[in-house]
Amino acid sequence: MNTKPERKTAGHRTRRLIYLLLVLLPIAIFYPQSRAEGKTQPIVTVQVTPDSLLVGDRVHCIIDVRHAPSEVSALEIAPSDTLSERSFELISRKQPSSSPIPGIGHETYQLEFAVFGSGRQLLPPFFVVMRNSEGKETERISFKPSTSVFVQALTDTSMHDLRPIKPPLKPSIPTLLLMPIMLGAIGAALMVLLLLFILKRTVSKSAEKIDPGHVAQRKLRKLGSRLSAGMPPPECYEELSNIMRSFLEHHYRIRALEAVTQEIERDLKKLGVAGFESIMNLLKQADLVKFADSRPDVEESRQSLHKATEVIRSTRITSPPEE
Amino acid sequence: MQHDTELEELRRQITEASHFIEHAQEQLSLRVIGQHDVIRKVFIAMLVNGHILLEGVPGLAKTLIISTFAAAMNLKFQRIQFTPDMLPADLVGTMIYNPKDMEFYPRKGPVFANVILADEINRSPAKVQSALLEAMQERQVTIGSQTFPLQEPFMVLATQNPVEHEGTYLLPEAQVDRFMMKVLVDYPSYDEELEIMIRSATTAGTTPVKPVVQPDDIFKARALIDRSYVDPRVQRYIVDLVVATRKPSQYGMPSLEAMIEYGASPRASIFLLLAAKAHAFLQHRAYITPEDVKAIAYDTLRHRIRPGYEAEADNIKPDDIIRQILQNVQVP
Repeated sequence: MNTKPERKTAGHRTRRLIYLLLVLLPIAIFYPQSRAEGKTQPIVTVQVTPDSLLVGDRVHCIIDVRHAPSEVSALEIAPSDTLSERSFELISRKQPSSSPIPGIGHETYQLEFAVFGSGRQLLPPFFVVMRNSEGKETERISFKPSTSVFVQALTDTSMHDLRPIKPPLKPSIPTLLLMPIMLGAIGAALMVLLLLFILKRTVSKSAEKIDPGHVAQRKLRKLGSRLSAGMPPPECYEELSNIMRSFLEHHYRIRALEAVTQEIERDLKKLGVAGFESIMNLLKQADLVKFADSRPDVEESRQSLHKATEVIRSTRITSPPEE
Repeated sequence: MQHDTELEELRRQITEASHFIEHAQEQLSLRVIGQHDVIRKVFIAMLVNGHILLEGVPGLAKTLIISTFAAAMNLKFQRIQFTPDMLPADLVGTMIYNPKDMEFYPRKGPVFANVILADEINRSPAKVQSALLEAMQERQVTIGSQTFPLQEPFMVLATQNPVEHEGTYLLPEAQVDRFMMKVLVDYPSYDEELEIMIRSATTAGTTPVKPVVQPDDIFKARALIDRSYVDPRVQRYIVDLVVATRKPSQYGMPSLEAMIEYGASPRASIFLLLAAKAHAFLQHRAYITPEDVKAIAYDTLRHRIRPGYEAEADNIKPDDIIRQILQNVQVP
């Protein structure tokens, strides 16, 4: 009786073993080769900066892909017309960089998008394509990133123009540092103004100190010596007229250089200048030489110079009339 | 010394020859009170063969001065009232048909006289104005196919009213330039006005004026004026004044640059010298000084300078511009 149940148990065990083999065989057959070779699913991480921006601004996106070391990844972005509401426009992408991490394949993709639309916008979907060492595509994985950016629409939401790149911000100079510089500049300007004022006063004072009579007498002395040295009398009279007019202009503050003899006569009469007849005689004599081609001799010229010196000396004693 | 003697001799001749002016002035003073400056300018123009444009409001004795001047100078006087319907033939004359001998004869117009008063010249159209101005320039008139020289001395004194411009034909600059001087006739002084009133408020006729001058006196004076000595310094001074109206910046007056649209023409230099010579003649001088130039500068330049837009906006007149030029251009 005991042999029968024993036989029954052995047969049952055999049957169980066959069933197990039947279950394990397809698993053994269809078990992925990659898994058999130590292959792992690629890990994709997405980073976006900044996460809040104005419409038309640029957003930087870094996609990091980690995968089996025997494979190479590639990134494919869906065409722009399929992008959600055309909110992201690909501007540029950099060549993928890979950093050697032992036992892991690794690529980093840097993308730049222009962002349009308004409100919270999800990043566009992309594909990670895996290729083996022979370049054959082994896998194509679609990713829909959950990362989003907030777009602030200051202008019309239909705007599709690119905003200009913002200039880099310069570090502002602290006001406290600027203050001494500004104060220094103001101080220097004030110093220059003060110097100019002092210089002007000094020059005008020194000009006032120059006595026109003294200048005229010195010029007459020089003219006398030039006459003795052979200067033609007509030239001497012309010079004499200029000296007298210049003296009258500076001493009596009248316009004598641009005035004709009659006008000078009228002005001197108005001022009540003492001895103005002598001045007018000299000027009229000079006018005769200048305009009537009169030819005085050297002796006459010398006498005129002497008269002019006396006239100027006498006017120097009497102060010029107050204006 | 020889030159001095020559000039002295010329001066003596000038003094002698200029007596007729004093006589004429005496006759003028019988009828005209005041307006000495206008009378002096009329003599200046007569002495150097120039024409005058007189500007002044009505009733300032413009016609009286000229008619008395012509009478005293023993010259044929014609007054032509310019009107809008006037034709050139009314001025210069025309060809008249004589049915007796079936031929055309020239009939000379009023322009054939020694002293012409073109009263209110701006009232007639341009063709009449140009007919007169052509006669002034050419000193001859063509009627039909015949050309007739005008009598010497020949002088035109045109008047225009500075206030009434409605219905007038403004003289073009090119024609105004032909007048040697533009003299402004001003109101008489208080005392002069008093005398005018006392003397004129009578029903008796005007005081008769005697002709005291012969045409030969004028020609002799002109010959002496031509011989007057003009120093190169004075010549340069005249040119300086004229050029200063064109390029004031060169003479230290950059502010005038915008004030002047255009300056005086070379005719201004010629007339300035001629008028200065005549002015010196009236002073019995045989040489010209800058005083002579300054004395006639306003009258010779004022109608030859056109003030610019800025000057008009600031109410700056040609006389103001000339004053500034005279004050800034250095006298030799």
